[in-house]
Amino acid sequence: MDVADVGVRCIQAASRLKSALTIGMCLQNEVRQMRTTFAQNSSRYLKKDFKEDLVVPEDFRHVYPEFLPDPNPEWRNNLRERLERQDMLARRSVINIPEFYVGTVMAVSVADPNASGKVNRFLGICIQRGGTGLRAWFILRNVIDNQGVEILYEMYSPLIQGIEVIRLEKRLDGELLYLRDALPEYSTFPLDMEEEILPDGAPVPVNPVKVKLKPRPWHERWERKNFQGVQDLGLPERFYKRAKELEKPYEKYDLMKEYRATIPEEEQAEIFAEIAPHYPRLEAGRRQRKRRTLTKT
Amino acid sequence: MMRISYIGGSATMISNLLRGCNGLIKQGQGIDILKFQVREMSRVKRRHTVPPFWLPKATRILYPEHTTPQNEDFITEYISDTYSSPLKVEPWERGEWSTKSVRCGLIARKIGIYPMWTVEGKRKLATLLHVKENHVVKYIPPEERSKEKYSRMAAVIVGAESDDPRKFTRQYKSIFTNAGILPKKKLTKFLVTPNAKLQPGTPLFASHFRPGDIVDIRGMTIDRGFQGVVKRWGFKGGRASHGTTKNHRRTGNIGGGGEKSRVWPGKKMPGHMGREHRFLRGLEVLRVNAAENVLWVTGPAVPGPTGAFVYIYDTVLPHLRCSTAPPFPTYFPEDEVHSDEKYAENIHVFSNSSITFT
Repeated sequence: MDVADVGVRCIQAASRLKSALTIGMCLQNEVRQMRTTFAQNSSRYLKKDFKEDLVVPEDFRHVYPEFLPDPNPEWRNNLRERLERQDMLARRSVINIPEFYVGTVMAVSVADPNASGKVNRFLGICIQRGGTGLRAWFILRNVIDNQGVEILYEMYSPLIQGIEVIRLEKRLDGELLYLRDALPEYSTFPLDMEEEILPDGAPVPVNPVKVKLKPRPWHERWERKNFQGVQDLGLPERFYKRAKELEKPYEKYDLMKEYRATIPEEEQAEIFAEIAPHYPRLEAGRRQRKRRTLTKT
Repeated sequence: MMRISYIGGSATMISNLLRGCNGLIKQGQGIDILKFQVREMSRVKRRHTVPPFWLPKATRILYPEHTTPQNEDFITEYISDTYSSPLKVEPWERGEWSTKSVRCGLIARKIGIYPMWTVEGKRKLATLLHVKENHVVKYIPPEERSKEKYSRMAAVIVGAESDDPRKFTRQYKSIFTNAGILPKKKLTKFLVTPNAKLQPGTPLFASHFRPGDIVDIRGMTIDRGFQGVVKRWGFKGGRASHGTTKNHRRTGNIGGGGEKSRVWPGKKMPGHMGREHRFLRGLEVLRVNAAENVLWVTGPAVPGPTGAFVYIYDTVLPHLRCSTAPPFPTYFPEDEVHSDEKYAENIHVFSNSSITFT
């Protein structure tokens, strides 16, 4: 489809429609379609070798989010990002860093000179993950002896001996920091929990649990955050009134803000092309857990 | 214990005072000298928006030439023919290294920061510096460089990052004719001992430095614009609350009374901050990638934003200077081919197995 076709179709549509408003809507739809095809075409032609058989997997940016660099243009540099990805792949060739999301129950073993057996194992629910490249991190939370404990782990630290995914699942929210103000039963997981098997090729389940919070005071004003994973907060009306005043409903229409916070699809394709030779090994590692548990039973 | 505190005055006055104190120390009396505020250099311009008059204009205004593709091909072919063949001159003799020798440095671009880990598991941030297309442009022997009787140092002019010759003026390009190289975006002068002389046209690589070497880096600090006194000089400002009226980040009192009842020159006040040349000394080279010409140095504090040019020198700090011979006068690929990555002794290589404690 090219610009001339779009023009002709719009004129034809306009002649059929009665009101000016619907013409605008039609143009918008056509422009949106044109944009997506342009993106598809340009990502194909940006590649120097025209590798048409190289299709970026749909879940690439969800399973390996730290391979995409920080979008801030002040800190971006192609050579540095390439060297960083090489180091990340080198580390991943030594240890298997599995697929996980916020809400996954995981166990991490780190080398610790002060621990008995020199290895410290901690199990907890992933409440937050962030960072890009070699600085990628995640926070695990658990309640041990009635004390909430959160540990931040750097994914590429060479002190980490192993990362096991105990229960692979997602939650309704991208961050679970409200577990700090929730009843302790929602953050407690037995340290000797056994791995839960998922059938091969199954999608990652979403846990629709709604967490009950303790009475106020809280660490943050949860009523202003629109989290889906919390039960009705039971606050007086004035809290919700003030939350509504501070709402920014126009933010979701801010295209430039979204653009500044993401890496364009064309660049994602280039990054994937770099990782493509290592992708089979990474994918084998990702599914290794499931296959291993199947053979156990 | 004698206590001397002196605020204000010139550097010469303070050095005279210190000489006097030395005498007292020899007699056996202890001296406790408080900090001096030197106010001599406060009127000198620290930043220049216009280059000096003697520097030739480097870039020329590019007008739309509307060259045909065939002409464009011809021009690029001509440029590559002109600059591809090396100069037919006899290579110079290489000097012998001694502990007092000073070699030339490199020009690099700061390309980013990421973490590295030591063998003990300690995390260290490392700055990556990309040494791109460095060449020696000119060598100036000591007699030509300075007429002073005691001047022993020669000068090596190094250029970094070649660019299309069409972008530069004829006057600027004449600097590079002796070396037979493409014109460079960045030039600098390194003072060297005469035994470290380098022939014009010699390429310089990141392998000039080895992992474990200590370097000094000179760069232009990040431009922070007009800043207040709290950020610029580290003043404490005023109270945040308890009735303070419009005095949260202000200077406060700017002087006393009596004999010197005026604002002293060099009084710390708000003003432009950043965009100044600064040295960061004593950084260790953690890793060298010879294929991409990239150096990793300790710390995130290399002056300048990402993408800025920096100048790397062998360290001047006496207790950190290398005791063994570095590649002297520089690393030559024909001697020893460095194709893989080299790491400092203490640094964990990512492809090695995880760190364990026994």
